[in-house]
Amino acid sequence: MGDFVDRIAQTVFWTELARGFAVTIAHIFKEPATINYPFEKGPLSPRFRGEHALRRYPSGEERCIACKLCEAYCPAQAITIDAEERNDGSRRAIRYDIDLTKCIFCGYCQEACPVDAIVEGPNFEYSTETHEELMYNKEKLLSNGDRWEPEIVSNLRDNFLYR
Amino acid sequence: MVKQNGGIRGSLYKLYRQEELKDGVLVGEDELGNKYYENPRYFYSRNRWVEYNDKAYLNYDGSQVSAEWYGWLHYKTDLPPHKDPSRPKYKWMAEFTENMSGTTGQYVPYSTTREKVEAWVPKQKSSA
Repeated sequence: MGDFVDRIAQTVFWTELARGFAVTIAHIFKEPATINYPFEKGPLSPRFRGEHALRRYPSGEERCIACKLCEAYCPAQAITIDAEERNDGSRRAIRYDIDLTKCIFCGYCQEACPVDAIVEGPNFEYSTETHEELMYNKEKLLSNGDRWEPEIVSNLRDNFLYR
Repeated sequence: MVKQNGGIRGSLYKLYRQEELKDGVLVGEDELGNKYYENPRYFYSRNRWVEYNDKAYLNYDGSQVSAEWYGWLHYKTDLPPHKDPSRPKYKWMAEFTENMSGTTGQYVPYSTTREKVEAWVPKQKSSA
């Protein structure tokens, strides 16, 4: 009988409304659990696989020797390489194209690379307005490497024990 | 907190631009003029933040964080770049640029090789 009266009272006086609003008001004063991107950013791993980059040796010489292991290994077949002999007789890629719209960011290319030339850098804020801007060629990849080198090196240092 | 953010006017400006007022310790500034703050009182992933260069005004963008500070802001490392001696400084390293998509500076793909098929240009007949 007591139960029944309680239920009647709840229905008649709409107490759940007041209790519900109390929860809402309490949450206004709580610290928000969302982060205020782009001022605050979420945690990333040093192993994060983002935008690709071609690295250089400290001397400034490009690392890629156009061995095409990444091209062969790429499960999405997003990489295209053409090799040619350079004037000084070293084998270099004259074409290194990555279609980032095909890429599945598996990271196999950086694992296949014998000279650590192709890496997936930490950057994920490379969204573009057109499709064609994501067809990276060799110059774009090298310039990515030139810009992100300090971060790539710091990631590799954090990670080298586990590779 | 209001005092640290530059008085009432400064605080209102920051509220307008960043939608939030936070107090923190200035950890450093990158070469693009962005300031990096930290306050461990906030919970993880809110305790480090960037205030973009005032020149950007409302055109701030996530990609304006320089590569040097990227790892610190993303909690990959606790060492800010100016306290990390092992960071390389090569002369071939390029200046950081934000994501240029949609501007005149955007990347336009082009072929880095010679075309495989070259069009034949017939010789002009000397006698007409």
